[in-house]
Amino acid sequence: MENLKITTFSSMASLWSKISPVVPANEDQFPLQFSDKVELSVVEMLQRSRKQLYSDITSSSRLLNAQIILDISWEKLNTGTWRHVDKEWRRVYSYGCFFKVAALCCESPSEDKILEAVRTCDMGLIMGAAIMGDILQVIVRILQSHIRTLNSTKEEDESERAEVKRIKIESPLVSAIKEELAVPRIRCPSLESFKTNYLLPLKPVILEGIIDHWPAFNKHPWSIEYLRSVAGCRTVPVEVGSRYTDEDWSQTLLTVNEFIDRYILNKDGVKALGYLAQHQLFDQIPELKDDIRLPDYCCLGEGDEEDITVNAWFGPGGTVSPLHQDPQQNFLAQVVGSKYIRLYSPENTGKLYPHQSQLLHNTSQVEVENPDAERFPEFAKAPYLECMLQPGDVLFIPVRHWHYVRSLELSFSVSFWWS
Amino acid sequence: MRWFGFGFNAFGQIRVQEKSGRGESSSALHQVKVTHPAELSSHVDKSGCCLKTSQIRVSWSRRASLHLDGDSCLSLAGFGESVSSEDCGISKIESYGCKDVFISESHLTLAFPDRIETWDLQKREKSPSWSMDIKTHAEGSDVNLPLVPGGYIALKPPLYCTLPGHLKARSLALGAEHAVLLTATGAVYSWGLGSHGQLGHGVLTSEEEPRVVEALWGMSMTRVATGGWHSACISDGGDLYVWGWNESGQLGLPSRGLRKSQQKSSQQTGELCYDTSTPADEKLKEEEEHEDVFISIQAFPALLDVSPSCEIQTVSCGSRHTAAVTTTGDLYTWGWGEYGQLGHQTVTSSDEPQRVEFFRAEQMRVLDVVCGTWNTFAAAVKEEVACAENSTKCTC
Repeated sequence: MENLKITTFSSMASLWSKISPVVPANEDQFPLQFSDKVELSVVEMLQRSRKQLYSDITSSSRLLNAQIILDISWEKLNTGTWRHVDKEWRRVYSYGCFFKVAALCCESPSEDKILEAVRTCDMGLIMGAAIMGDILQVIVRILQSHIRTLNSTKEEDESERAEVKRIKIESPLVSAIKEELAVPRIRCPSLESFKTNYLLPLKPVILEGIIDHWPAFNKHPWSIEYLRSVAGCRTVPVEVGSRYTDEDWSQTLLTVNEFIDRYILNKDGVKALGYLAQHQLFDQIPELKDDIRLPDYCCLGEGDEEDITVNAWFGPGGTVSPLHQDPQQNFLAQVVGSKYIRLYSPENTGKLYPHQSQLLHNTSQVEVENPDAERFPEFAKAPYLECMLQPGDVLFIPVRHWHYVRSLELSFSVSFWWS
Repeated sequence: MRWFGFGFNAFGQIRVQEKSGRGESSSALHQVKVTHPAELSSHVDKSGCCLKTSQIRVSWSRRASLHLDGDSCLSLAGFGESVSSEDCGISKIESYGCKDVFISESHLTLAFPDRIETWDLQKREKSPSWSMDIKTHAEGSDVNLPLVPGGYIALKPPLYCTLPGHLKARSLALGAEHAVLLTATGAVYSWGLGSHGQLGHGVLTSEEEPRVVEALWGMSMTRVATGGWHSACISDGGDLYVWGWNESGQLGLPSRGLRKSQQKSSQQTGELCYDTSTPADEKLKEEEEHEDVFISIQAFPALLDVSPSCEIQTVSCGSRHTAAVTTTGDLYTWGWGEYGQLGHQTVTSSDEPQRVEFFRAEQMRVLDVVCGTWNTFAAAVKEEVACAENSTKCTC
């Protein structure tokens, strides 16, 4: 134990020496330029923080200053109607995060402070805009590798393993898929045959065998333990509530570890469902991006590779995405667990009762697996396809095809939106 | 009448910061956050006369004090202002004769008997960036800023906005992106961003044009106030109504966001953690019990009981906090308290109105309150003077 302490302290003391090389060497090499949307008083606060960065002032004074920048920019981010103003204020917010991280890490920080610094980087990555060559992304990688060296000596929690196993063998509850309604399956079609038979006629299909080579299945098989190791301390947006159309649905920010403890392992006995949904996790955590590949079929689209939106969908059994449509083609790749999915062609939109409001006009009012036949009499007449998406399956959801998704067990899917 | 200030003071807008030994302005906690009501130092004119402050207007980084006695003038404190305030762009000289003032983060507007001038605080120009002549006794010439004849001065350029003539505006409060207007007949209109229910129409949509707040229809109001994303008004009978975002408890209604962040801060060790009153697990239980009554957004005006059986005389809103003065001279505050703006000598937020005990302890009666973005200013008199003032209207 005594030995462990010593190594911990010596490696902590060196944290700032790892970060300072990526920080500008002095005030002159640290420009702070903003459009006139950012008032001079706010720029003054930024300048004060910059000055503190190169002084010997205490961490608490630095934190206080950084917090003022975060508070004022947070208010602006929650105010704006003008998008061009937002961009400038998102930059200010990121500078606030940067100064806070520097304040947290400057005096040999405790592990709690380092974790707070990681959270702060993530807040900047989620809510802010890239500054200083995406310095928050650079720093968070330094912090993460630092934490890893700290933790490498710690024992693993055996009790958790048992719990994870128990969760994995929970049997999915779903009635069998009727053969006449099943989404067709095809194994590794040629680009040409996929294009002719599915993409051009906009027909859903499950592609088999096209992601088996992903490191997510082989080199780094995705599991709760693996996610904890590459992303445990990272902060991500989480949806809480069964469906985003529900009154009590909300979004919150949690670390991946907190999310797993609370909503996957149910450690606190929380009844609500949590879903790490529609988040660009792979931009935030490059290690996970290395575990997946863009499906080759995306090249049939007209957009560049950079225009493909890759989202993570990670959650326990029972998460539901209400019947909705998206404005792009979608490959939904299933990596862990299984999902029940139902698809309606856009020709049947009239039978699906989309919400009237601007915000939810792409979402049906019907509870697909428990429809209110009185309010939505036409719904039962709409033809549909359905499937159970299993690990290794990739579902092609053509543009504007209505889809309803329910996870049957612990599930991790990756969606690729392309045009 | 004496003015006190508390809350955000990073620019010395409440009290001038002491210089530290190294000649650099120290940002120690007690200087950035004034948690205990501090009396504002009085401004002295060239002849050595002490100027009485009649009114205060505040932006995020500055305070403008209006002195209506004698020649009437303005003094500024806060960002960009030196201690003497003599050598800055707009000095007292330019403000001599002004009767009213309105300040935003970028502009300062002065109302003179014959004209309105708006100065750009970012550019330090020698002349106002916008002005308007007023014909005395013309319709609308007797209203208070930001109202001006025919319209109002917005927080950002283009500054001048017109208002429909039929509204007969009595007063206007401007929030971060919304506006609440009181008409001569006591009706309330609102417009602008509605994302957090701040317009009080029961929906979260924005309004381009002033729209009457129907829920208050038929009740005559005497005052309106706006914060960043919330609004308040007082009825003739002294009832307080609030609506909008309750993220930090600024409506005085149970706030889930506030309870959550207090849990978080009490779980975190070390860094700027002051709330040690209740253990986190106890709060969790509390939250479960109150799960159903939390209010995040109040899209219709709600009647708020500040304290049992008292009438509200005046109300003011900061970006995320609210302050109200009762007819008995007590000051109550609630909402975001991170910078000490609630005056309870803490940096804790509160979703329940709490009396600022300082004034009671000093046997003072609060007469007026003005919230800045993250701070609060209150005018008070000693109890016995207050009584005399009430009975004889004498000057003091």
